[in-house]
Amino acid sequence: MSNKHVPLKARKVSFAWEDTPLHWVPGDPFTTHTINVLHLLLPAGERWFVHVYKQVLPYIRDERLREDVIGFIGQEAMHSQAHDEVLPHLKDQGLDPTPYTAQVDWLFEKLLGDRTLPPGRPRRWWLMERVALIAAIEHYTAFLGDWVLNADALDRRGADPTMLDLLRWHGAEEVEHRSVAFEVFLHVDGGYARRARTWATAFAALVFLWQRGTRYFMENDPTLIDGRATFRDFHRRGRRGLLPSTGAVARSVPRYLSRGYHPSQEGSTEQAVAYLAASPAAVAAVATEKSQEGAV
Amino acid sequence: MKPKPMTLVLAAGAALVVRRALRRRIQASPLWPMPALDPSVSGRPRSRALTLLVTAHERIADGVVRIRLEGHDLPRWEPGAHLDLVLPSGLVRQYSLCGDPEDTSSYTVATRLVEDGRGGSREVHEQVQEGVELEVRGPRNRFPLVEAPAYAFVAGGIGITPVLPMLRALPESTEWRLLYGGRTRASMPFLEEIEKLAPDRERSGGRVTVVAEDEDGHPGLDAFLADLPEGTAVYCCGPEGLMAAVEERLPAGTALHLERFAPRTTAGGDGEFEVELHRSGRTLTVDGDTSVLAAVRAELPNTPYSCEQGWCGTCQQKVLEGEIDHRDELLTDSERGDSMLICVSRARGTRLVLDI
Repeated sequence: MSNKHVPLKARKVSFAWEDTPLHWVPGDPFTTHTINVLHLLLPAGERWFVHVYKQVLPYIRDERLREDVIGFIGQEAMHSQAHDEVLPHLKDQGLDPTPYTAQVDWLFEKLLGDRTLPPGRPRRWWLMERVALIAAIEHYTAFLGDWVLNADALDRRGADPTMLDLLRWHGAEEVEHRSVAFEVFLHVDGGYARRARTWATAFAALVFLWQRGTRYFMENDPTLIDGRATFRDFHRRGRRGLLPSTGAVARSVPRYLSRGYHPSQEGSTEQAVAYLAASPAAVAAVATEKSQEGAV
Repeated sequence: MKPKPMTLVLAAGAALVVRRALRRRIQASPLWPMPALDPSVSGRPRSRALTLLVTAHERIADGVVRIRLEGHDLPRWEPGAHLDLVLPSGLVRQYSLCGDPEDTSSYTVATRLVEDGRGGSREVHEQVQEGVELEVRGPRNRFPLVEAPAYAFVAGGIGITPVLPMLRALPESTEWRLLYGGRTRASMPFLEEIEKLAPDRERSGGRVTVVAEDEDGHPGLDAFLADLPEGTAVYCCGPEGLMAAVEERLPAGTALHLERFAPRTTAGGDGEFEVELHRSGRTLTVDGDTSVLAAVRAELPNTPYSCEQGWCGTCQQKVLEGEIDHRDELLTDSERGDSMLICVSRARGTRLVLDI
């Protein structure tokens, strides 16, 4: 475990999806689609993070934290764009995600968007509530990031290398910036009641969105005749290492609610940085940036 | 107290009915009871990276190659649009599309070899061949064909590429004229097709004027731009000198549209201009070496930004007045109308008014 501080910087990656099959975990549509739910939630969700964090900047009085937040915003914006680019590819293969993503868009743009509140305390309350929600969600993105960096079972099953690189590039950046959202929350509010309340909301919402998403994909997959998704499917794959295990998910709950929690205790920055130094997409992003600087 | 069997049957029946009703609703609306956002945002990425196969690489004039890139279900484009090509070395270069906008299975671009250039055109000429896969981004249009009563096009050499699809798209009855200049006839691409587009060149009073410097000397810009009808849209694409000459001679009552294929710079650079921050009531000067973002941040330190290279979108600001020199890779054509990424984009004129 490491909690060394690294300066955060967004990487402009790009992925070409033409060669990625519909079931990119070969022969396992359930695992494929459970992970695919990320592409449904993240474009709108991370766009919303950016939207909220732009508003929280004036509340940050610590220079180093402000720099972290600026790096965090760019990384989140790029994650949102990268996952958004997978959606047309799913549609090309006969699995149209639009009915689901349009509703996720409503959730983040309307339900969790800016509300017409009187300036002053009500407006600040709603902003702080959203900042706390983001900290709770980031606990899970860091959890998933750490999981995917270590999910060797996916490599052994022959999962598509481009999709694995997207997930691991994203996962590594989530691990890299895992402390930012929580530190922002501590810096601007930090109340325990709010932390517990928003955790409960975020966890319930994630479970709801995830099970509906997996079910949506399984039912609408054009290659499956009777696509179903059950909790047993999830539990079994967790035991084989193809998805996070039920036990690991359950154990992550008391950690976030413990008073001594800090995200730096989860995952390894060194592992994340090492992956980013070798990730095909991240390496190409650095090369492109260098060649453009050289050309000017 | 033991429940009566009848109560149990009723409860089970009710549970079944509820379950069926729920299932039907979720099938029709995956996140029931949430409504959908209309219009939705996700699933329409701005810059979808596509990998296309080079299926033709042919020399069509001295120093000019035409490249055909094939794919399927490609985004449509409008005349004037360009494509970003990511070359094998990682260089990114922009080329105007010169094929058929209706064709969704291929894109066509043409490029001239610049001997003392920065390596992009040499790479396209020498290393890109049939069978090579190239990553492209776009298409994007910053040289759109606007509605106008009449058109005058001035193209210099390879600058004919964005103009060609415009000529093809204009209805037969539209009044237009074209001045197409180049060093020699052999170096000018698409000459044959241009001359075919306006076959009655002599009789109709010179819709198309072709000027090859080695035969005819310098193009007669003054005569070409004389007596343009009121409201004519003047389009010019070519070397910097030609565009400056057109700008100088532009008659009153006409609107000029320029397409520069000079490189886009990533940071800083160029002239000084003023930026007015409308809501804060301040005016600042952005000099040649700083970005709008840096100048604004000096006044308003909480202005959001992140990548400082024009691709994350965090620093997007609404522009109330002034012409924008867009240098980002992110905004859509419609967003470019009234907003800019202040980390890289600058003013085309001397003043911008931002809604901050």
